[in-house]
Amino acid sequence: MNSNDAIFAQLATLGSSLVLLFGIALLWRRSLSAYVRAFRWQSLALALTFALIGYFGHNRELYIVAAILVVLKVIVIPGYLTRLYERVGGKREAQPYVNIATSLIIAGLLVLLSYAITRPLVTVSKLPTRNGIPLAVGLILIGVFVIISRRKALSQIIGFLVLENGVALLAALGTYGIPLIVELGVFLDVLMGFLVMQILVYQIKDTFESIDVEQLSRLRH
Amino acid sequence: MTGYLLEIGQAALALLLAPGLVGFIRVVKARLQGRRGAPPWQPYYDLRKLFGKEAVVSRNASWLFRFAPYLIFATTVVVTMLVPLVAAPLPFDAVGDLLTVVYLMLLGTFFLALAGLDPGTAFGGMGASREMTVAAIAEPTIALAIFGLAVGAGSTNLGQIVAQTLSHPGAVINPGHLLGFAALFIVTLAETGRLPVDNPATHLELTMIHEAMTLEYSGRYLALIEWAAGLKLLIFFSLLSNLFLPWGVATALTPGALAIAVIALIAKLALLGLAVALIETRIAKLRLFRVPELLGVSFVLALLSVTSSFLLR
Amino acid sequence: MKFLLLLLPSLVSALCAYVVRPYRATVGWLNALLSLLSLGAALAFAGHAARGAEAPVFGPGELLRADGLSALLMVCVTAASTLTLFLSPGVGTETKYTQAQLRRYQLLINLFIFSMLSAVSSNNVAIMWVALEATTIISALLIPLTRSKSSVEASWKYILIGSVGIALAFAGTVLGYFDFVALTGRAENALNWPVLLQNAPAMHPEVMKLAFVFLLVGYGTKAGIAPMHTWKPDAYGEAPPALAALMSSALFAVAMYAILRWKVVADAAIKDHYADNLLLALGLLSLAIAAFSVAQSRNYKRMLAYSSVEHTGLICFGLGLGAAGVFAALLHLVNHTTAKSLMFFLAGDIERKYESAAIKQVRGLLKVAPWTGGLFAAGLLALVGLPPFGLFISEFALFRAGFAQQHPWLMGAALLLLLVAFVSFITRLNGMLYGEAPAEVGAGETAGWRVAPMLLGLLVLVALGLTLPAPLDTLLDQIVRIVSR
Repeated sequence: MNSNDAIFAQLATLGSSLVLLFGIALLWRRSLSAYVRAFRWQSLALALTFALIGYFGHNRELYIVAAILVVLKVIVIPGYLTRLYERVGGKREAQPYVNIATSLIIAGLLVLLSYAITRPLVTVSKLPTRNGIPLAVGLILIGVFVIISRRKALSQIIGFLVLENGVALLAALGTYGIPLIVELGVFLDVLMGFLVMQILVYQIKDTFESIDVEQLSRLRH
Repeated sequence: MTGYLLEIGQAALALLLAPGLVGFIRVVKARLQGRRGAPPWQPYYDLRKLFGKEAVVSRNASWLFRFAPYLIFATTVVVTMLVPLVAAPLPFDAVGDLLTVVYLMLLGTFFLALAGLDPGTAFGGMGASREMTVAAIAEPTIALAIFGLAVGAGSTNLGQIVAQTLSHPGAVINPGHLLGFAALFIVTLAETGRLPVDNPATHLELTMIHEAMTLEYSGRYLALIEWAAGLKLLIFFSLLSNLFLPWGVATALTPGALAIAVIALIAKLALLGLAVALIETRIAKLRLFRVPELLGVSFVLALLSVTSSFLLR
Repeated sequence: MKFLLLLLPSLVSALCAYVVRPYRATVGWLNALLSLLSLGAALAFAGHAARGAEAPVFGPGELLRADGLSALLMVCVTAASTLTLFLSPGVGTETKYTQAQLRRYQLLINLFIFSMLSAVSSNNVAIMWVALEATTIISALLIPLTRSKSSVEASWKYILIGSVGIALAFAGTVLGYFDFVALTGRAENALNWPVLLQNAPAMHPEVMKLAFVFLLVGYGTKAGIAPMHTWKPDAYGEAPPALAALMSSALFAVAMYAILRWKVVADAAIKDHYADNLLLALGLLSLAIAAFSVAQSRNYKRMLAYSSVEHTGLICFGLGLGAAGVFAALLHLVNHTTAKSLMFFLAGDIERKYESAAIKQVRGLLKVAPWTGGLFAAGLLALVGLPPFGLFISEFALFRAGFAQQHPWLMGAALLLLLVAFVSFITRLNGMLYGEAPAEVGAGETAGWRVAPMLLGLLVLVALGLTLPAPLDTLLDQIVRIVSR
C-alpha cells in the first residue's frame, strides 16, 4: 500500500467515523431539532466522504452523488423535517423506550457487533477504504435501534434516514459506489418514501392529535 | 540514581505547579466573565492559611476521617511519579502503568467518598453518592481511552505509549487517537469536578459533588485535600497532553531536554487550562440525571477508540 | 414488444385515472380492460418459456428479461391484477368511497401494478429493489384511503417496517455487489442476475452468507415471514379489500420471487445448505406464529392475514427443500395467489353487509347471502388445504419433498401446526356460516354480478386441484431447472 493509499485510508476512516459519531449523537440528544441537526451534519459528512472517495478512487460519478446528497439530505429533507415538527408540535422526545445512558451503551455494543460480523468483508476487500466498512454496518444497526427505541413518529423517520445513510456509506466504502442509474433510483425512492412518511405523520396528527406512537396501539388480534 | 532524583523532582514540580494551575484557571474564568479575579498565586496563599489553622473534627467522625486526607494526598503524589510529566521512560515504570494509575486514583476517590459519609452529615452522604455515580462510568472510561493508545503501543506502560506516539507522528490523526482524546477530555471534566459535571466554586446543595464530600474538613486536612485536587487536575491535563501530543517530553535525561520538557509542560497545561476555562464559561452545568448520559457518550467514544485501534492495526 | 404490452397498460391506466377529473366509472372499466392486455402478454411469455426457448431481453443494458420464473410471476401478478381491477370499488357497483377517493385509488392501484410488474420483469437486481420499494410507498399511500385511526396506524406501521426491511434488502444487494467487485472489479452490468449467477461460484461464501441474511430479513419483511410479519394483520385488516387482495396475493409473490432470485445466487456461492436451513427455520417460525395467532384472532380479516403468514411459512419450507421442494413451493404460490385474492374480496363484501370485521358479529352468513357465504367457505377450505382444491396438491407435494429430503421431524412439526391452524379456522368459519343473523342485517347478496369472476377463480382452483395442466407442469420444470443449477 503506497503512501497515497495510506492517506486515503486514514481520511476515509476519519470521514466514516464522523458519520457514525453523528449517528450516535442521535441517541444522546433529546430534542427533535437536535435530531434534525445531527442528521444534517451527518449527511454533510457523508457527502464529503463520497467526494473524497470519488477523488482518490478516480470515480467522477461519486461527485454527482455527493452533490445530490447535499441537495437532498442536507437541504431539502431537513427543511421538510423542520417544517414538519414545527407544524406537528412536540419539540422533545421526552421519554424514549430505552433511556439515554442505556441507549449509548447499546450503541457501543452494536458497533462491536458490526466489527464482528464484517470481519469477512474486511478481509475479502482489497480497497483502501475497507476499514470503514464496520462503521457503516454499525450505523445501519444503530439506525434500526433508533427506530425501535424512540416514541415519536418523527424520531422514527430520522432513524430510517440514518439507516439509509449507513447503507449508502457501505456502498461507497465497499464498492466505490453503485452504478449511477441505481443510485439515482435509490435517491428517488428515499425522497418518495420520506414524502409519504411525512404525509402519514400529518394524518397521524390529524386523527390522533399527537405523534406519540404509543397512541398507535388500537389494532390487536 | 539520577532516575530517582528525577522522580522526586517530577513530584516536587507537580506539587509546585498544581495550585498555580488552579489559580490560573480561576483568573482566566474571572477575566472572561468581566471580573478582575484574584491573582493566579492566590491558591498558594490559601494553602498556607489552611495549614496554619486548627482542624476542627466532628465528634461523630472516626479514624477514617483523619486518615483519608493523608491517603488521598499520598496516592496522588505517587501517581505524579508514575505519569510521564516531563520525561519518559521513567525508572518507576516497571511498577507504574495505566492500570496502576487508574487504581491509585480510584483509591483516592473511594476514600474521599467514605470520608464524606463518615461524619454522618446529609451533605456528605449526598456528595458521596453523587461522586460514585460519576466515578462508576468515568473510571472505566479512563482505562478504555488510554487503552486505545496502549493497543497501538503494544503495552499499557505509559512511558512506552509516549515513545510509540513520538516515533509514529502520523498516528495523531488516527480516528482511534482522536476518539480517545475526546473521551478522556470529557472524563477529565468529570473526574476533576469541572463544569458541566460539577461546579468547583459552589456550595449549593443542588449543585455540588466534590465540595459536598469535603464540606466537613478544615485546617490542614482541607489543605491536603485541596492540594490533592489540584494535583489530580494537573495529572489529568498532563495525561491528555503527553499521551496524545507528546512533543516536548524528554526522552533523554539531559538538563537541556528536561528544561524544554518543563517549559513544554507548562505551556500545555496553560493551553488546556484556557480550554477548560472557556468551556466552563460557555456551558451551563448539567442536571445531575443527565450526567450519566454525557459520561455514556464518553464511554462509547472510548469503546470506539479501542475497537478501531484494535481492529485497524 | 411483448414487454411494452406487459408494462404499458397499467401506466396508461394510471394516467387516465389522473387526467379524468372527477372520477367516472368508464375509467374503471377501461383500466380493467387494459389489464387484460397485460394478462395476454404475460401468458405469451409463459408459453414462450414453457417451450424452452431463450429468454427474451429488452432495453439498454438488458434491463428487462423474462425467463421462466419471471413469466410465472408475471402471470400470477397480472391475473390477480385483472381480477382486482374488475372487482374494484367504483366499477359497476355502488360504493361508499367518494369521487376523489376513487380517483386516488385508481391512480395508485395502477401504479402499484406497474411497479410489481417492473420488479418481476427486471433483469437488474437493483432495479428490482427500486421497484419493490416503490410498491411499499404506493401501498402505504393507499391503505388509509378512508382516513380513520386504525387505518392511519396500520399504514404507519406498514411503511415503517416495510421501509426498514427494504433498506436492509438494499444493504444485502450492496454486499452482493461488493463481493462481485472484490472479485472482478466494477462493471456496469454487474447487477444483472445472469451475470451474478455466472460469477457466483467464485464469490466468497462468508460474504454471501452475510449478504443473504440481510436479503432474507429485508425481502422477508416485505413477504411477511415471521418474525417480520407484524405489519401484515394490521395492513390487510385496514386496507381497502381490493388492495388487501392484491397485496396478499401479488405483492407477496413478488417478494418471494426476490428472495428466490437471490437464493439461487447465494446457493451457487455458498455451496452448502446454509440458505436452505435459514429458510426452513424461518418457515417453521412463521407456521408456529401463524397457527397460534389464528387461535387467538377475533377479526376475520386479520385471520386471513395470519393465514397468509402460514402460507408464507409453507412456501419458505418448499424453497428450502431442494428441487422438488421448489416445484411444490411455486405451485403453492400460484394456488395461493388465486385463493387469497378471492378471499379478501369476499371479506370486504361480508364487512359491507355486517358493518363489522369482528368474527363474533358475523352469524348466519349462509342464510343471509348464500353465494358470498358459499364462496367464502369454499375459499377458506381451500386455504386450509383441503381437497379438491389446488392447495392440497401443492402442500402434498411439499411434504413429499420434505420427507424425501430426510426432514421427518420438521415435516411432522409442520403438520401439527397446520392441524392447529385448521381447527381454529374451521371453528371460526362454522361460527360465521351458521346460526341466526343479527336483526339489522338485511338478506340478499351485495356482491351481485361480481360473484361470477370470483366463481371463475374458484373453478381455476378446483381445476388445479384435480389435475396439473401440462403447460404449467413444463413451465415449473423449466423454472426448477433454472434455479437448481
